[in-house]
Amino acid sequence: MDERFFTKLADTTDTEPTASERAPARVKSRLYSAIVAELASSGPLRSLPATQAAGRELCVFEKVLTIVPDERIHEMNPCRVCHARLLAERFESPPIYWPHCPYVEFESE
Amino acid sequence: MASETSRAAESTGRAVEPHPLTADERALVAAVLQKDRKAAAEFVSRYADAVYAYVSRRLAPRADLVEDVVQDVFLAALQKLDTFAGQSSVAGWLLGIARHKVEDLYRALVREPEPFPDDAEVANAELAADPRFDDVIDAARAQEKTRRILERLPAAYSAVLLWRYWERRSIKDMAAQTGKTEKAIERLLARARANFRQLWQAD
Repeated sequence: MDERFFTKLADTTDTEPTASERAPARVKSRLYSAIVAELASSGPLRSLPATQAAGRELCVFEKVLTIVPDERIHEMNPCRVCHARLLAERFESPPIYWPHCPYVEFESE
Repeated sequence: MASETSRAAESTGRAVEPHPLTADERALVAAVLQKDRKAAAEFVSRYADAVYAYVSRRLAPRADLVEDVVQDVFLAALQKLDTFAGQSSVAGWLLGIARHKVEDLYRALVREPEPFPDDAEVANAELAADPRFDDVIDAARAQEKTRRILERLPAAYSAVLLWRYWERRSIKDMAAQTGKTEKAIERLLARARANFRQLWQAD
């Protein structure tokens, strides 16, 4: 009886996740920051111009960095010191609006 | 392309039939390995929801740990990404890592159980409770009620129930992983079931 009850309960309740079970944007932001920090810990990130050439859009701050004629600057992670990251990791729906900013895009998903 | 069945199974963390990586997934993995930050953002966008949903369901007894476990899953995946052979989808692979992380926690909770009522109390609870699954109107309500009860139970009880019935681990396997005897696991399960059923009826 017990086995049947719990087996059936598990089967019935283990359905596909609903929209309400989506990861909060704050969690995605923290995840993204942690992954980029981890990637950067073992060597430079892919340069911003190379990222752009691969068809991925840059945010306004990243675009500014690509103007600087120094490859080391292109490999930096400006998100580390960006207020968008700080806000997005702490609040749901923070006031950040720049196009092609991952933190903004997590909010709009 | 994954079938509907395998996608549904993947999203709940259950075992799935392997299907090869799509070209799109392969390109995304390659870009992350090249340390492309925007690819990393896409990786999070695509897979965080599935991993988060799975971990939060399985960690009902320790909801406070969900965010840390999800982060551990992604960082562990990143460490192993260069050896990922692509024999399953990325989501299936990530959920496999998540399952291991969740089971690590179950193991710790079951090894150090909280104080239990004696066997007489369990027997009384079993007599008093007569769960009627037919009373369950729909899956969504059953899911919500189950989550509420799992959150209220002592963590060791919730962990042992989730491990046995939702992760479908055998008692023998659970005993081997925790260093307990099969009898001890069965007793723990009996107490957990009795407590769950009491709360199920009272809820």
